Amino acid sequence: MIKIKKNGSKITAFIFLFVMALFWILPVLYTVFSSFKTTTEINISGYKLLPTQWVVSNYINVLTNFNNAPIIRWFLNSLLISTVQTILVIIISSSAAYAYSRLKFKGRDFVFWILMSTMMFPSVVNLIPLYKILSILNWIDTPLAVIVPGAVGVFNIFLIKQFMASIPMEFDESARIDGANNFQIYVKIILPLIRPVLTIVALFTFTGSWNDFLWPSIVFNNIESLPLTPALQLFQGMYLVDYGRLTTSAVIAIIPTLVLYLFTQKYFLEGLNLSSGVKG
Amino acid sequence: MDKKSYTPYMFIAPHLILFIIFFGIPAVFGIVISFTKWNILGTPEWVGLKNYAEILSDSSSTFYTQFHIGIKNTLLFTLFSVPFCIIVPLLLACALNTKTKGQKIFQSIFYLPTLFSISSVILAWGFLFNKNFGPINRMLGNSINWGGIQPYTWIAIVIITVWWYIGGNMVIYQAALAGVPIDMYEAASLDGAGAITKFFKITLPSIKNQIAYTLVITTIAQLNIYGQPLMFSKGGPANSTSVLLMYIKQTAFGSGESIAGIASAMAVMLGLCIIFVASLQFYFLREKA
Repeated sequence: MIKIKKNGSKITAFIFLFVMALFWILPVLYTVFSSFKTTTEINISGYKLLPTQWVVSNYINVLTNFNNAPIIRWFLNSLLISTVQTILVIIISSSAAYAYSRLKFKGRDFVFWILMSTMMFPSVVNLIPLYKILSILNWIDTPLAVIVPGAVGVFNIFLIKQFMASIPMEFDESARIDGANNFQIYVKIILPLIRPVLTIVALFTFTGSWNDFLWPSIVFNNIESLPLTPALQLFQGMYLVDYGRLTTSAVIAIIPTLVLYLFTQKYFLEGLNLSSGVKG
Repeated sequence: MDKKSYTPYMFIAPHLILFIIFFGIPAVFGIVISFTKWNILGTPEWVGLKNYAEILSDSSSTFYTQFHIGIKNTLLFTLFSVPFCIIVPLLLACALNTKTKGQKIFQSIFYLPTLFSISSVILAWGFLFNKNFGPINRMLGNSINWGGIQPYTWIAIVIITVWWYIGGNMVIYQAALAGVPIDMYEAASLDGAGAITKFFKITLPSIKNQIAYTLVITTIAQLNIYGQPLMFSKGGPANSTSVLLMYIKQTAFGSGESIAGIASAMAVMLGLCIIFVASLQFYFLREKA
């Protein structure tokens, strides 16, 4: 009796998930397939999912528009920004987490507590003074304007520190007896052991940086220097209702994070649980 | 001083110095500037509470109008979208928790949109919702102007937001549900409890911490709404989707002279809403203890 009921609820669940999954995946598929349709087909026909005639003209048009929408340039700008920011975050967050979690120094817990308490602070308040600081440094319109401010978050340190807590202190102590200094212990013993959490931090930093919209649209005035995410906004004004080209640029923009996710799915899911687990 | 005593500071210094310059100082000055008249270029001039008085109660000022429209629309959007951003992923997670076929694929599909930037999401959905060329209208056989007539614009923006946002919440609920012991459900079944009773008596109480957590982070995320109305409806029709962040950006970094003091006061007001929501989490957690 219970078993039948169980199977019944499994079937209901499957049907519900299937219908919802259609709602979630169809917009993606429709966008991707439309980027391979001719403008005529998009404009006149009904709502067929697959193109009747597959064309790559939208891709050629979008990729070769070097005059007012240099999408390859924007793509490379984004790649540079996201990569450098990820490396910077990994270095400064892991070394800080190492000190806060495994070294003893005056004021350690106090400084860490102050850092943690700023996590609640709404960053919208920072926008205007941050812009002023960057303009004093002459960083406006340069990649540094998004790379550095985006790398100072404290949540990453918190995550890494939590992870480090599971590594026994005996590892450090025996290395110290063998004559290793703090730097050697950090590089040779701790860093290899915390690779899983560093992977998670790297993935979330990269996607977060790639998808950042508001801040880059404030600090870049020069079209050439823009990263891709805020630059997509310009396509709207340029291509108006040319949905072949608009969907094409959207597809190009989602490729990197999509590829990253396909190869590292498990880390994304673990990362979410890690952050909700420690915060919730 | 021997070597040992200062090396720890070298490990925290790179982050701490950058943090102070690019977070600490802007945070303090963001509040200070809201009490000044400033155009970003010159020297700020102290004006006390004048900016707040202007946006909160001087109905002859354009900034009063902008602030009121902006905060109203921001709060409205939050009110519309947050319930769906909690309930939809919760239902999905419950369904996935039955360990039905294709669980992994379903999970990936629902998580997928969270990987996309808001600008690519709007380019795609702008097409889907387009009045003349969009498949949604063609399928429904009508010509609704989703981007230009209310309530359709809000409906479209909420649909897009829910589609884009819920993946993370769903994964969090899935992990929480996996931790609820199955015998609790089996015991309830023997007592004759139905699916709905079980949901409210067992499921919800067991994952209430995760619900509180997601409720807080989701509300904060939605209070920061910016990209959707900016790109989907340009704040329209008739400013009905003009949100506060749009006015803050326009006032501080718009084409004319910057009115940074007023913009900062608006930002502080939005920040207060965010802090209020964030502090609710502590209330929830204390309740648990």
